[in-house]
Amino acid sequence: MKILLIEDDREAASYLIQALDEAGHVTHHASDGETGYAMASGMDYDVLIVDRMLPRRDGLSIIESLRAEGDNTPVLILSALGEVDDRVTGLRAGGDDYLTKPYAFTELLARIEVLARRSSPAEAATNYSVGGLSLDRLSRKVERDGEAILLQPREFRLLEYLMKHAGKVVTRTMLLENVWDYHFDPQTNVIDVHMSRLRSKIDKGHDSPLLHTVRGAGYMIRD
Amino acid sequence: MSRFAQVWRTSTVRLTATFIAIFVVFAILLMAFIGWQSSVSIQRQQTDDIDREVRLFQRIEATQGIRALAFALNRLSSQPGPGVYYLGDASGQYLLGNMNDVPPEVLIDPGVYSFDYDRPDPLGEDAAGMPERPKRAGVAVVRSIELGNGMRLVVGRDVVERRGYSAIILQSFFFGVVGIILFSVVAGGVTARRVLKRIDTIRDTSTKIMSGNLSERVPITKRNDEFDGLARNLNAMLDRIEQLLQGLKEVTDNVAHDLKTPLTRLRNQAEGALRDTASPETKEKALETVIAESDKLIQTFNALLMIARVEAGAPSGALSEIDVSSIVSDVAELYTPVAEDEGIEVTTNIAEGVTLRANRELIGQAMVNLLENAMKYAKPEDGRPGKISVELKREGASVVITVADNGPGIAEADRQRVLERFVRLEKSRSEPGSGLGLALVNAVARLHGGSFSIEDNGPGVRAVLDVPAS
Repeated sequence: MKILLIEDDREAASYLIQALDEAGHVTHHASDGETGYAMASGMDYDVLIVDRMLPRRDGLSIIESLRAEGDNTPVLILSALGEVDDRVTGLRAGGDDYLTKPYAFTELLARIEVLARRSSPAEAATNYSVGGLSLDRLSRKVERDGEAILLQPREFRLLEYLMKHAGKVVTRTMLLENVWDYHFDPQTNVIDVHMSRLRSKIDKGHDSPLLHTVRGAGYMIRD
Repeated sequence: MSRFAQVWRTSTVRLTATFIAIFVVFAILLMAFIGWQSSVSIQRQQTDDIDREVRLFQRIEATQGIRALAFALNRLSSQPGPGVYYLGDASGQYLLGNMNDVPPEVLIDPGVYSFDYDRPDPLGEDAAGMPERPKRAGVAVVRSIELGNGMRLVVGRDVVERRGYSAIILQSFFFGVVGIILFSVVAGGVTARRVLKRIDTIRDTSTKIMSGNLSERVPITKRNDEFDGLARNLNAMLDRIEQLLQGLKEVTDNVAHDLKTPLTRLRNQAEGALRDTASPETKEKALETVIAESDKLIQTFNALLMIARVEAGAPSGALSEIDVSSIVSDVAELYTPVAEDEGIEVTTNIAEGVTLRANRELIGQAMVNLLENAMKYAKPEDGRPGKISVELKREGASVVITVADNGPGIAEADRQRVLERFVRLEKSRSEPGSGLGLALVNAVARLHGGSFSIEDNGPGVRAVLDVPAS
């Protein structure tokens, strides 16, 4: 994946570039808003990572200009401002996701991989399948190897989100945000409990598990 | 700046001057009205007098004849006073009266007239030895009539007298206005000074407070007027500020303790990992601990920031109408499996469709905190299974959310204290947590104009969030 990182903190930037490189992504870096905007509009990137507060040009205005020009490259906003209204302004300016500093790298990686996927057309599919597991979004039916699985509405949405991003790591915070629409952190392992219930419904009695725990990051559904 | 401008700038002077100006304008208007009214009524009275006299003369002529009329007329003419009289024959020729020259039109057409004439000085009457009778210019208002035999009778009043009266009114008017100005300068000055003295007291107090003595308060008098109202509000505000500062000081102390401790642990771990003798496994384990510790620190830090923002009254995102029933049941649903895994039974009794003007995120976070707290403590000492009940109902004008457990509960003396930041009771020191959960719930309740309290659930804790319904 080709990524543009617009971030003025050199240390944070070099750490991110190195970590993204290890994860197999090519990262270009701009350290101020004007340069970042010029690079973003001059080249094609799969994902932009934009810090909100930048010298010379503020992050949100870069996104607004890009969107106004019809550039729909997915954007992840990084910001120290983490209040709900800050998040709302960020997303309203055209950002696709919002991550509050400080963040874990695994969280950032999971989010940009999901974001890049968004620009691909798989988005609108009405059913997903992974291995022997299939989920029909219209009839809300879930089957594994032809055997129907009964899920609670919330479990269905959880599985739907995981299968939509099959093969990608999905973090606990992403699940909370997208399945429960909560932007705050529970201190206990609520998500883990829900995942273990879901796992017992879809993986129990099968030799090869589909729902995997990615240590230190989150969850992934794959063959 | 000139001295005058300096004096003018003081509110005392300006206030006084404004009062005086208003006062004087009204006094002038009032006196002008009174003067005008009295002049009108004097005029009317004079005309009435003239008419009455005319009727009297007509009656005398009719009943007693022209001789009696002439006699009466002569007698009145010789009396000092404002009365002017003229009796002429059918051709208007002067016969008798104290006015010997009357404009011809007065004699030709009967009616009411006003004209200048030479007035014989009543005091100079009959001074036979004098070479000429002293006269002065007069103005007469008269009524002329034609008597039965064609003779002309003119009866009137000398209005110079009336004008003299007007002059008296004008004079007293002038003295009155001067008096009023003097009086209002004094009275206005005194009143303004009294008012401003109270303001000065408030200013003095605020100066003392600004110089650092925050326990200073504005004195309140027994008058219970607007100034006392202002003083009370100021004092209440100062109380709140003092309380906030006190809170801030406590927080600073607590932050120093509660953040430094994990930071020290963090540092120790990192140091341990760097030690030459450390095996790769120890190093990896130490690094993992470092990440876990810093995550916890970030969480504490976020919670602190959130409380600070909520307490500052800056709601993150404006309050809007939200379905609080669905939020409460969502959070309960989120936690039920977690509780069940720990052997705790969660029962819910949530009224449907209750709405509230609130911040969804904050109410959600408050619910999360209440449930996490309840789960930590819903462990009865006698070993019975833990129970948590979540309730939402409308009670009159408020929405009451209750999260109750059957754990050991909190001693009455500590129930208020646990709502403060970083307060963790001895027995919960071993549990994970930052001591900020309930403080946030408390701040959220306050932001929504409600209250949060810890009650006895006999046994256990009943955490009650009471928010006024929109």
